[in-house]
This record gives sequence, C-alpha cells and structure tokens, in this order.
Amino acid sequence: MPDVPADDAAPGRAEPARPAAADGGLERAIRAVARGDERAFTTVYDQVAAAVLGTARRVLRDPAQSEEVMQEVLLEVWRTAARFDPASGSAFSWIMMLAHRRAVDRVRTEQRAADRQLRAARASIEYDEVIDAVESRLEHERVRRCLGSLTDLQRESVTLAYYGGYSYPEVARLLGVAVGTVKTRMRDGLIRLRDCLGVE
Amino acid sequence: MGGSRAGLHTLVGAYVMDAVPDADRAAFERHLTGCEPCREEVRGLREATARLGAAVAIEPRPQLRDQTLSAARRLRQLPPLVAQRRDPRMARRPARWTRLSGAVRQSWLARLAATAAVILAVVVVGLSLHLTSMQHRLSSDEQGSHAIAAVLGASDAKMMTAKVRTGGMATVVMSHRARELVFTASKLSVLPQSRAYELWLMGPAGDKPVGMLAPAHGGMAGPMVVRGLVHGDRLVLTVEPVGGSPQPTTSPIVVIGLGI
Ligand SMILES: [Zn+2]
Repeated sequence: MPDVPADDAAPGRAEPARPAAADGGLERAIRAVARGDERAFTTVYDQVAAAVLGTARRVLRDPAQSEEVMQEVLLEVWRTAARFDPASGSAFSWIMMLAHRRAVDRVRTEQRAADRQLRAARASIEYDEVIDAVESRLEHERVRRCLGSLTDLQRESVTLAYYGGYSYPEVARLLGVAVGTVKTRMRDGLIRLRDCLGVE
Repeated sequence: MGGSRAGLHTLVGAYVMDAVPDADRAAFERHLTGCEPCREEVRGLREATARLGAAVAIEPRPQLRDQTLSAARRLRQLPPLVAQRRDPRMARRPARWTRLSGAVRQSWLARLAATAAVILAVVVVGLSLHLTSMQHRLSSDEQGSHAIAAVLGASDAKMMTAKVRTGGMATVVMSHRARELVFTASKLSVLPQSRAYELWLMGPAGDKPVGMLAPAHGGMAGPMVVRGLVHGDRLVLTVEPVGGSPQPTTSPIVVIGLGI
C-alpha cells in the first residue's frame, strides 16, 4: 500500500483487543446499562473507551479536551442507553457516532479558522505519537489496507472529514476540487471501505 | 443547498462523517425520513466509519475509568422513549401539522405585536417585506421577537396543537426548513409558587432544557423560539422546581413529535 499516507500507516503497538464492532456482547451490555446495571457499564467502558478517546484525539488533537469528550460520550451512553435503537445500527457504531459528532461539534464551536489550518498541517506529523493503541494491530492493519484500496481523492476526502473533522466544503477547498466531487468521493470511498471491511 | 433527490443521496458519505454544514444537514435529514435506501446506506456506512475510529484507539489513562464510572453512578438515566409513548395519560395523538393559513398567521403576528409597539417593525421583517432601519435599533429582547416573526412568516410554517395533561393547550408553529419553531401555551394550570413549567427537547442523544415558561394571566405562556432542532427531537413540557432542572424530574405533561 505505497499510497497510504503516513498518518494512516502507523501500526498499533499494543496487545490485541477484540474488535468491538463484531459481537453482540456490547448490545447486551447496553440493554443492561439501560436498566441501570453499573457492572454492564464497566463492560461498555472497557470495550469502547479506547476507540472513543482515539477518535476524539484525532479530531481535536488536544489530549485534555479529548479525554473530556471521551468521558462525556461514555456518560451520554449511560444516560441514554434506554434510547439506543438496535434497528438503526450496532451499539458500537451508535457510540462512535456520538463520539465523532461530539468531537466535531467541539472543533467547530471552539476553534477558529486559523487554528484549523494549523491542524491540517500537523495532522500527519502527530499521528505517530498518538498511536498508542490498545485496539488490535490486526484491526488497524485491516483498516489501513482497506484505506489503501481507495483512490487518492477518495482516501483524502474520507480521512480529512473523519479524522480531520472538516466539512465537505472545507475538504473541497483544502483539496482544490469541486464540492460536488468531494461529496461523491466521500460516499464512494466509504462504500468501498465498507465493502472491503465486510461490514453489514 | 437542497437540489435534486439524486443530489441528496450523494450526501450520505459526508453525513455519516459529520461533514455536512447545518443548512444541508437539515435538508438531508428530512430526506432521510422518507428514503429507506439512504437510511440503509447510512447504517452500513456508519459501521465503516466506526471502524475508522476503532483503528486509531488510544488506551485512556487508568484514572479516567474510575472517574467516569463514579460520575455515571451519580447521573440520572433517561427513561426509554417507548414507555412515554405508551403512557395512557398522555393521550398523544399522531402528529398532525396544518399549514398556517394567512388569517392564523396574521392573528399570531398581531398577538406578538401587542407585546411591544416597536415589534411592529419586526413583524414587517417577518412578513418578508423590506427591512427597515428599525431593525438596527432592536434590543436583544426584540431580536427574540424578530426570530419569532421569522418562523411565523416562513413560507413552510405549519402549526400543531396538543392538549396539556394537567390542563391547557400547547401550540407549536414550526418551519421544518429552518428547523425552528415557536411554542406557546394557553390556559395552563396555575402552579404552586415553588414549581414552574420547563420546556425540553428530547431526542436520541438526550434531553436538552429549552427554557422556563412563566404563564401570565389566562395561563398564557410563550412565545418561545426553539432552534437547532435535530432528527428525532420531540418537544416536551414538564413541571419542575421553580429554578428549573438540568434534566426532567417529573413525567411529561405534553409531548409533541416534530416529524424531523
Ligand atoms: Zn435517498
């Protein structure tokens, strides 16, 4: 995968953990949390906190803010577990949706445009320091390989939006392409990623 | 924004990455409610983006675990939305929006205008006639009235009324396009001095306090503007301690599905 950007190529170093997306254990735990089960909540925490923190960190860059977002997201999960709707996706994707949305909201409200330009410049440099992952090396490698199967423009559009927290008009400006092009590349890129990862 | 149906379909990718600006997102979420293929695609692509997140996981500092767990222990959980829907006392009829007729619009605006003479200028703005220099002189209070007039004057404004369980009627005028609404209530019961009405937005992501309502004579309350409505939100009224609560502490006395 020579065309994978450096910031998506760093392998995880830590011990393998089970891939959070793949089992029904998290759904069961969420249902128990909805009934106020504190032990089930520790299970949820152990399964998702690292992914939530990592996502927040990629978007926000700031370690302290990322930790705040991680805690807010987990508390939101605790508070709203009864409203989780399995029909709209897996429990893991629900939690990650809350995480990403919250991180992006924070970026949009708190950071001025100038800061954000700076962030773009630093995005690739800082990744190596950040990747202190507990998530399995396997998972990291799989995602990296699948990102490698995207066209350059698809991959850049996806990573700037998801990891950079940029809106599609901003991504269009950063890449110097039409907004319509970026919109379709984001969708096509994610479809290819989905198919490559074999998610339902 | 907006555009053709096909144009909206392509927003799915940006949407699941929270990369759609607010104006487009409102249009897309409206599209989603009526487009099963897009909803299906959203589900699948969310699983994919979740994996993007999982791939950059970072082990949190160990202290955070205990902090988070003990914070959760002190945090009240939200009830499931289903239980509220089934509450027989709610007598919740399916959402029925009616278009705001010219006459109704006028009477609302008249009622609004009666609250302050200067607001007449705002009403003119709300009716999308030309802006006058009056607008510059609006205080923040009057800016609120401006917002109200804007919702009432929106071309897609629709109205819904609902019975309040403890007495009275709630009325919502909403612009789905602008994702804004105006709430008013009439004939609300008089509450003990220590209690007050509080308005909420409740949705899949939690409960958001909107504001306290202080009924005047005749149990009239509002108008209150509610902005930033998101997919799945309902408007809910509860009775709370007089200073308001960060989260609802009593069961809803009216629930209005917003159809977004
Ligand atoms: Zn569609």
